[in-house]
Amino acid sequence: MNLVRRLGIAAVLATVLAVVAAGCGSSGGGGGTIIRGTTDQPVSYDPAGAYDLPSYDVIYNVYQNLMTIPPGENKPVPEAAEKCDFTNPTTYECTLQDGLKFSDGDPLTSKDVKFSFDRNVEIADPNGASSLLANMKSVDAPDDKTVVFHLKQPDATWPFVLTVASFAIVDSSDFPKDKLQPSDEVIGSGRYTVASYKPGQQTVLEKNDAYTGDDPAENDTAIVQYYDKSSTLKLDVENGEVDIAYRSLSPTDIDSLRDADGVSIVEGNGTEIRYLVFNLKLQEGTSDAQKLAVRQAVAQTVDREAIAKNVYDDTVDPLYSMVPQGLEFATKAFAEKYGESPDEAAAKKTLADAGVKTPVPLEIWWTPSHYGPSSGDEYAEIKNQLDDSGLFTVSLKSTEWTQYSEAAFTNKYPQYELGWFPDYPDANDYTAPFYAKDSFLNISYDNPEMNKLLEQEAAETDEAKRAQLFKKIQDIGAEEVPTLPIWQGKQVAAVRDGVSGVEDTFDPSFIFRYWLITKD
Amino acid sequence: MSRKGSLRTYVLTRLVLAIPTVLILLTMVFLLMRVAPGNPIQVALGGHLSQQEIDRRSAEAGYDKPIPAQYVEYLGDVFTGNLGTTLTDHRTVTSIIVENGSATLELTIAAMLVALVVGLTVGILAGRFRDTPIDLGGRLFGIVVYAAPVFFVGYLLQLLFGSTLHWLPTSGRVGPVTEFELDTTTHLYLIDSLISGNFNAFWDAVTHLILPAVTLGLLVSGVLIRLVRVNLMQTMRGDYVEAARARGVSERRVVLEHAFRNALIPVVTVAGLQFAILLGGAILTEQTFNWPGIGSELVRYLNERDYIAVQGIITVFALAVVLVSLLIDLINAFIDPRVRY
Repeated sequence: MNLVRRLGIAAVLATVLAVVAAGCGSSGGGGGTIIRGTTDQPVSYDPAGAYDLPSYDVIYNVYQNLMTIPPGENKPVPEAAEKCDFTNPTTYECTLQDGLKFSDGDPLTSKDVKFSFDRNVEIADPNGASSLLANMKSVDAPDDKTVVFHLKQPDATWPFVLTVASFAIVDSSDFPKDKLQPSDEVIGSGRYTVASYKPGQQTVLEKNDAYTGDDPAENDTAIVQYYDKSSTLKLDVENGEVDIAYRSLSPTDIDSLRDADGVSIVEGNGTEIRYLVFNLKLQEGTSDAQKLAVRQAVAQTVDREAIAKNVYDDTVDPLYSMVPQGLEFATKAFAEKYGESPDEAAAKKTLADAGVKTPVPLEIWWTPSHYGPSSGDEYAEIKNQLDDSGLFTVSLKSTEWTQYSEAAFTNKYPQYELGWFPDYPDANDYTAPFYAKDSFLNISYDNPEMNKLLEQEAAETDEAKRAQLFKKIQDIGAEEVPTLPIWQGKQVAAVRDGVSGVEDTFDPSFIFRYWLITKD
Repeated sequence: MSRKGSLRTYVLTRLVLAIPTVLILLTMVFLLMRVAPGNPIQVALGGHLSQQEIDRRSAEAGYDKPIPAQYVEYLGDVFTGNLGTTLTDHRTVTSIIVENGSATLELTIAAMLVALVVGLTVGILAGRFRDTPIDLGGRLFGIVVYAAPVFFVGYLLQLLFGSTLHWLPTSGRVGPVTEFELDTTTHLYLIDSLISGNFNAFWDAVTHLILPAVTLGLLVSGVLIRLVRVNLMQTMRGDYVEAARARGVSERRVVLEHAFRNALIPVVTVAGLQFAILLGGAILTEQTFNWPGIGSELVRYLNERDYIAVQGIITVFALAVVLVSLLIDLINAFIDPRVRY
């Protein structure tokens, strides 16, 4: 063998050895760096341009709001504010804390708060949440520490609105008033700064040493790594490339990871819900009474426990009210009315009493491209349950999300699947959007008693009275079934050994608090 | 007409023909995006806001302007080099082309290297040892790597080399920390890491590139194997090959220096076209390996109905394909005098 050949073989061997050595072991961060993998993709880190969970995940860590939901709780408390309260039913006044600073050293004053809200309304970004400020008439900053909101109508949920990431406080000397700030140039007063943002690849948050609030970050850096597919994310958390895999692993991925070395599955209370919608104009039935009977019979037949177990491997919980458990004022109205288990005999009687011929043909729509691949299995399971009862004949139809999301709300589908993420963790956000006369669902549901109750609860600040109002609202919702709640999702993450704090951030607010997470 | 004159005519004709080709492509892209239902606001906020609110926001964003007006605006922007800013995440299309296009370019170059090494080697062996077990094995290998779904091959390699052996990483261009720390000048990470003298980052980039490049390269090699084999067998039958043998030239030199060179012309054409196609983003490979290339970005923007992003990306891709195929035609015309008008 000649010298050149020998040298060539040696070079190849050395390269292979170096590659293997480089490939071995995790390339995850050190103790001060947390790496989270996710399939979510953010839209904007300018609060005025954000109305999506992936953007909120970063915004909550980079900015402060006037109010916030503390970990493990479900009620707003002051954050940048020292105190906030209604001075009359339509005036809400906040006093800022002393010494607040943005990460670039600029002081945070009431002028910045007013600026943040005014620009949100002025920009009215198509992807933003300015519609949540519809009840705000104006906002004043009479002095450096005082912010006064003037509302058009009494609104007990206003403190919750102030916790929404879209209304985080921005620096008036850096952010333009009439357009969005680029995501890699945002400045907040929160626990982190955006050190780097590469769309589709990663966001890097670095600890903000100028942060003056409570609970500073317990790590130095948090990296959010973006993935196209959950299967790749699953591989990377198994191999230690990421410390946390959260949103969205499939039930199969989660199941597989339960047995993986070095990985634990962490679960917490979630407030994402899925439900079935009935379009009262289009659904089966020749009279209102018959239509109601059909809806009630479906409510009596659907087996939520079976869906949670067979389709989702218990990564979701059965849901018996449109208001998920974990929120204040949540009841189990559907369980109280129809029981937790299906009752086909009762369903049969309901239909017979209303003179509905069986089997009732039901056309149910679902979408494969928005709610994950398990949607198909879920609706196949629902179809089986309804068909097997002998009371219904279900035809399932599906279409891609863009078409679906328009057709569903323009009177094209008689029954269809939907999901809901909260704007804020209050029962109002799970009732008014669905049950009000002008509901976005556009399903011709109009109950004067319900409308009155919704108006009352929105204006009512007394907790005991609100509890009564919401109980009544949920009872009516269960009685009339314009929507059928099916499940509420748990928050589930795969976490590498040595990483802690993830469970502490799982609560109904859906705020992912990187600052609570530590790594050995 | 002289050789030079007819070559000039050929070049000019091809250049002129490129213009309507590009125009047709741009128009098709525009129309397809407008015909597809929905818009970015519908995708993002449907199911959370009323349809009235969505329609109002869509009108304010100008999505309901007359199609001819939008078309004129689109063409004007393209010809002035303004590819626009995406509707969904406010990125300039130029930045997408540069950043994600560089990722795709890096993967494509690496994959083509793998394809050429594997394709040429196996093709030459199969052609040289025709009708022997080597030939049979080579042909079978070519069919299998071509027919196997690329994402399936990718998953298998990830499971074997990533999850089981823990030899190689399974996703991304580099590890998350390296991604943050690397200074990107060219956005080609192998080059950027060398420029900045960061050899750890260089090895990180190399190890991350191996699996996706091999996955994609094997697929392309399947095309090249058969082409090289067939063309080599044809050229091996030529008189000049017999003459070379008769002059006592070694069989190795006969194959590699005489027969193979002449067999290379169609291979260059096909390899070049494959390269151009891959520049548009090997979507399945990119998604399997979480490679942030232009293909996976295109899919994401398509799903989000971000027609500015889609138009911009496909426009650049279309121009790139037209340019590359024009270049290949010109090279072939230069080499082969039979290719003329």
